[in-house]
Amino acid sequence: MFEQVFFSGLALGSIYGLVALGFAVIFKATDVFNFAQGMFVVCGAYFAVTAMSILQLPFPLAIVFIVGAAALLGVLIHMVLIQPLSGRPMLSVIMLTIALSISLRSIIEMVFGPQGRSLTTPLPTGVLMLGSVRISYLHLTAALVSWVCMAGFGLFFKFTSVGLLMRASADNHEAAVVSGVNVNTMNRLAWGIGSTLAAVGGLFLGQLQIASTELEGIGLLALPAVVIGGMQSIPGAIVGGLLVGIIEQMASTYISPKSSDIVIYVLLLLILMVRPWGLFGQRELGRV
Amino acid sequence: MNKTVNTVPNLSTWLWLLLWAAILAYLPVLLTERAFFGIALTNKQLLNLGLTQINLMLISMLGALSLNYLTGCAGLISIGHAAFFATGAMAAAIFDHQLGMPFPLVLLAAALAGALTGTLAGLPSLRVRGLYFVLSTLAVHYVVTYVFLEYQFKYFDVVGIPYATPRIGAFEINTPVRWYVLLLPLVILVYLGLKASLKSREGRAMLAMRDHELAATAMGVDVRILRLKAFGLSSAIASVAGALFAYYLSNVTSEAFNINFAIQFIAMIIIGGMGSLPGALVGAAIWLLLPSIIAGLSPDASSENELLSRLLVENRAQLVQLIFSVLVIVFLIFAPGGVAGLSTRLKNRWMAWRNSP
Repeated sequence: MFEQVFFSGLALGSIYGLVALGFAVIFKATDVFNFAQGMFVVCGAYFAVTAMSILQLPFPLAIVFIVGAAALLGVLIHMVLIQPLSGRPMLSVIMLTIALSISLRSIIEMVFGPQGRSLTTPLPTGVLMLGSVRISYLHLTAALVSWVCMAGFGLFFKFTSVGLLMRASADNHEAAVVSGVNVNTMNRLAWGIGSTLAAVGGLFLGQLQIASTELEGIGLLALPAVVIGGMQSIPGAIVGGLLVGIIEQMASTYISPKSSDIVIYVLLLLILMVRPWGLFGQRELGRV
Repeated sequence: MNKTVNTVPNLSTWLWLLLWAAILAYLPVLLTERAFFGIALTNKQLLNLGLTQINLMLISMLGALSLNYLTGCAGLISIGHAAFFATGAMAAAIFDHQLGMPFPLVLLAAALAGALTGTLAGLPSLRVRGLYFVLSTLAVHYVVTYVFLEYQFKYFDVVGIPYATPRIGAFEINTPVRWYVLLLPLVILVYLGLKASLKSREGRAMLAMRDHELAATAMGVDVRILRLKAFGLSSAIASVAGALFAYYLSNVTSEAFNINFAIQFIAMIIIGGMGSLPGALVGAAIWLLLPSIIAGLSPDASSENELLSRLLVENRAQLVQLIFSVLVIVFLIFAPGGVAGLSTRLKNRWMAWRNSP
């Protein structure tokens, strides 16, 4: 029983970690706390519906379509909405992302109808038995893809020159500008990566459940994941996502299904009181 | 130092006040008889408005005023304002349903419960600030709505908590006009009270805290106590508004106080103008009245254009959401001061034009 809950929590947590990683990339690069990240997950699920059910593309092409559309969406949002607001107070930017998520949701509901759509892909279904633990292939694939994506982006940030430039512009905006880095391009890239990671999460969540705007709530669990892990830390986001997934499954099994949200948010509150910079983050120092 | 300020309003101010009083006094007559001094008006000429919308608008104005006081004036961003509405609604259920207290006392109890919850919710502000504080208000939102949910399921049912018709003495508040008579003075009272509090020593200290916390501290302002006070006052008002909201709807569920409920107040103060109390009123008015105006457009649009009619009839809820969110985005990008900022700009231009030779 415990192992079962633990593994399904781990699988879900990998998807949360993926979404949270996208969130952290955006936050680190542009200091935008993106409340629309949950909606990016929904957009990913509906891009998948468009590619698979409406355009009936073959699966590899569909993946290209989803990734391309999501990246384009992120870049466009940064160009049109986020960039004009740079340097504005925090509430303006937060509210912008909230308004953005409301408008994306209403557009999706106008185009696809308010009911959810089922999403089928040629990904393997079925159940793998490991001792007494049942693991569905879909969960396993989702976890594996999430891990590959996370590792890939980890290596990208660490070892490629573009990754280095992105880290530089996130760490010190002015210094990067002075050294001739095109910070705007780097920020756009960060938004593209962030929305793509969320969309990949949406592809799996849409198939594990159903593609509907309700997925936003699941996507928004990336928020506490990022804070628990530490907002400035990329590995923190991944660990936070895993933790949130496991805690959610544990709470809804052992306490009550309604209590899963509250347990996560109480943990968030505790972390904020005791260690506001998160498990892996670095303490911020105030300067006069 | 005693500065003499000319506080006696001049003639034109008096005339404006008189005009507003006349409009506000005539509004319920206009909207219930649906006629302007004997001339009958159609629904469309009245912009599809009824007194119910006006009353809900007045309740929302309380929420928007309290949030703008907290966020715009004290600089504390809260996305957990729905939690305090829920606190008020729950306090009303406990003190009215289960303890049988009279309505005015219930409102007082709701205010106290709100102040207490608000002060507790403000406690993280002693330790964290900025984004982390915003997140703590989000966590508070989830905690309070969970408590509300558990309370609702323990003592009531899935259908929600029912509220009896409130009465003050023998006077039952059971018609929209009577609600209007109750709510309008309350909104004016809260508005004037908040305005006066902003002019007091503590209010000015609060504005200083918003603008530069370290400078305010250096001037001898105890920002920690001030934050808790602002949070307590703001959530007391929101809590009373929540109790009134619950009574007005006569049945609420925990679903009513979801995160979107809190977001709409942020949208109101952004449209109205951050830190401006009249702006909060304007923002709430736009937010509550626009949907019914759009609804009023739908009957005559259905014949003209197929796409337009599909949008207005089938997807009206989504269309309203889309219009609002785009409105918020447009205000954020092009008019960060909201309606209040726009009107100041217009006034300045008008003065410049009038004073130019």
